[in-house]
Amino acid sequence: MLIELKGIHKTYDNGQPLHVLKGIDLGIDKGEFVSIMGASGSGKSTLLNILGILDNYDEGEYHIDGKLIKNLSEKEAAHYRNQMIGFVFQSFNLINFKTAIENVELPLFYQGVNRKERHDLAMHYLERFGLADWALHYPNEMSGGQKQRVAIARALITQPRILLADEPTGALDSKTSVEVMDLLTQLNREEKVTIIVVTHESGVANCTDKIIHIKDGIIGETTLNTEHHASVFGSNTIMK
Amino acid sequence: MKFDLDSYKEISDSLMRNKRRSFLTGFGIFWGLFMLLFLIGGGNGLKELLSKNFSGFATNTIIMGSSETGKPYKGFKEGRYWNLEYTDVERLKHLFPELAIVTPQIAQWGVVAVNEGFSVNCHVSGLNADYQYVEIPAIKYGRYLNQVDLQQKRKVCVIGKKIYQALFPQGGDPCGQYICVGSVYYQVIGVNYGTSNININGNSEEDITVPITVLKDILNYGDVVGMICVVGKNGVKMSEMAPRIRQAIYRAHTIAPDDEEAMFLLNMEPIFKIVDNLFKGVNFLIWLVGIGTLLAGAIGVSNIMMVVVKERTIEIGIRRAIGATPFDILFQIVMEGIVLTLVAGLSAIVFSVFMLNGLEVIAHHETAFQINFGTAMAAFFLLTLLGILAGIAPAYRAMHIKPVDAMRDE
Repeated sequence: MLIELKGIHKTYDNGQPLHVLKGIDLGIDKGEFVSIMGASGSGKSTLLNILGILDNYDEGEYHIDGKLIKNLSEKEAAHYRNQMIGFVFQSFNLINFKTAIENVELPLFYQGVNRKERHDLAMHYLERFGLADWALHYPNEMSGGQKQRVAIARALITQPRILLADEPTGALDSKTSVEVMDLLTQLNREEKVTIIVVTHESGVANCTDKIIHIKDGIIGETTLNTEHHASVFGSNTIMK
Repeated sequence: MKFDLDSYKEISDSLMRNKRRSFLTGFGIFWGLFMLLFLIGGGNGLKELLSKNFSGFATNTIIMGSSETGKPYKGFKEGRYWNLEYTDVERLKHLFPELAIVTPQIAQWGVVAVNEGFSVNCHVSGLNADYQYVEIPAIKYGRYLNQVDLQQKRKVCVIGKKIYQALFPQGGDPCGQYICVGSVYYQVIGVNYGTSNININGNSEEDITVPITVLKDILNYGDVVGMICVVGKNGVKMSEMAPRIRQAIYRAHTIAPDDEEAMFLLNMEPIFKIVDNLFKGVNFLIWLVGIGTLLAGAIGVSNIMMVVVKERTIEIGIRRAIGATPFDILFQIVMEGIVLTLVAGLSAIVFSVFMLNGLEVIAHHETAFQINFGTAMAAFFLLTLLGILAGIAPAYRAMHIKPVDAMRDE
């Protein structure tokens, strides 16, 4: 198991204690393409934060590749995030005053990779995603789909163990959404990247091989979706 | 830490992203440091301007001259006239080995000096050669009086700056030429550019100095001396010497020991002290105002950066999410503060040096307003320190931004 969660509990304590995760047990293997689905308030964002080492949990154990991720210092957490996890966000979260290539380089900058090496590598990733011509453009000069592809390039450049995508199509139209999901699928198939997509959109979840439903802080049913006919884009979706 | 080019690019990028804000913030520092340096330079210039009045004058000098007695003593009535004499000079030299110089002088007032149709009002001082240790002359041409001039009673003179300019408007070295002072011709042997206003016989710029032995004979003064100047050796307290000197003179001239009026005695030491204290006060004020303004500027920088950090929460969150450690963020924000203060501060140093130079041009380079290199370097280090201090509070805040904040703020 690449990812192993055992009895994860998380309570937010903002005046009134809010028990968000009530014992999550979850295992994800290397090379899987998984989606976590749930309505808002179900705890899926909290789960994502814990999976991404962005937040701590109160009880249980979380292993990545056998390493226990618990009570890390900020510095260690930053280090693990940088080495093991690539993030793709709903609103792209590119840095606006940096060009596409500078955005892609950034994780390597924090790894201390030298200038030329990271520049070459970033260019290589941009080329792969068909963005070579856009390397020197700023995010606000690009379309949503291009921005998300830059974000995916940034997430992959450190060759992370896991790619975490939080509503990766949330800010895109359905055509671009399909393109982005196809790209993720292709990455999973061809390069065996482990991908976890958090979404409340069934169309997105349909692209993945396994759908994990989360409801009220516990894992509900887990559906295998290798046939990809759970719910097609554009039909019977929750939001779109 | 990663000291590569991009570290600096990050900093310049984020400062340039909002030019007007960076400029206004930097201006606080700029103005603060400019005020500090400009005030320091101006204060120094002012001090120099004032101390020109004393320049070249030995600080441990006492000047004395005779006056009417104020008390009856040993059969003499009060209101008696008496005079200092050459024997008093010898007496003081003999009695007080603590004195380095004892020199007499006599003066002639309201004299007209003439040279080839040019004339000027002046006063004539008859001096000994050793008077040059009381008031150091700034010899522009030629030389000062010497012992031989006095012994041979040569009719030679050293003329002050204004006399020289009035009598020799064409400039050049006037030495060897003769000028008519009153009714006597003197050969010019030197030009004194000294500017001291303490000169006992008035402004040294309007003075013609001749050997005392010559003037004494011309004016028929006999043994009478106008004034006596004494200079103490190094470390001798003149305020302690003054009463002893007074008593020695009084004894010789049969004057009541408690008679304060019979002789005026001017001790220069306290006067110099007053001026010194005045400038200590002025300097203190300058530093108070300057540092205050500078601090206000630094607080401004800190304040603005606080806002900037708040504004950049998402950006910082993203950086944290993709692997920046809290220290990376701290370093970046502190560096931004330092760079902003340094750029603003260095331009302030350059600008104030430029402005002080302007002041010097206005003052015809006669007064030095310029700050020295050490002051500039001290200002530079002060700035760096202020930059770090200004950056610390905002950086601390930035450091505690969690990566999840980036997503929360969507």
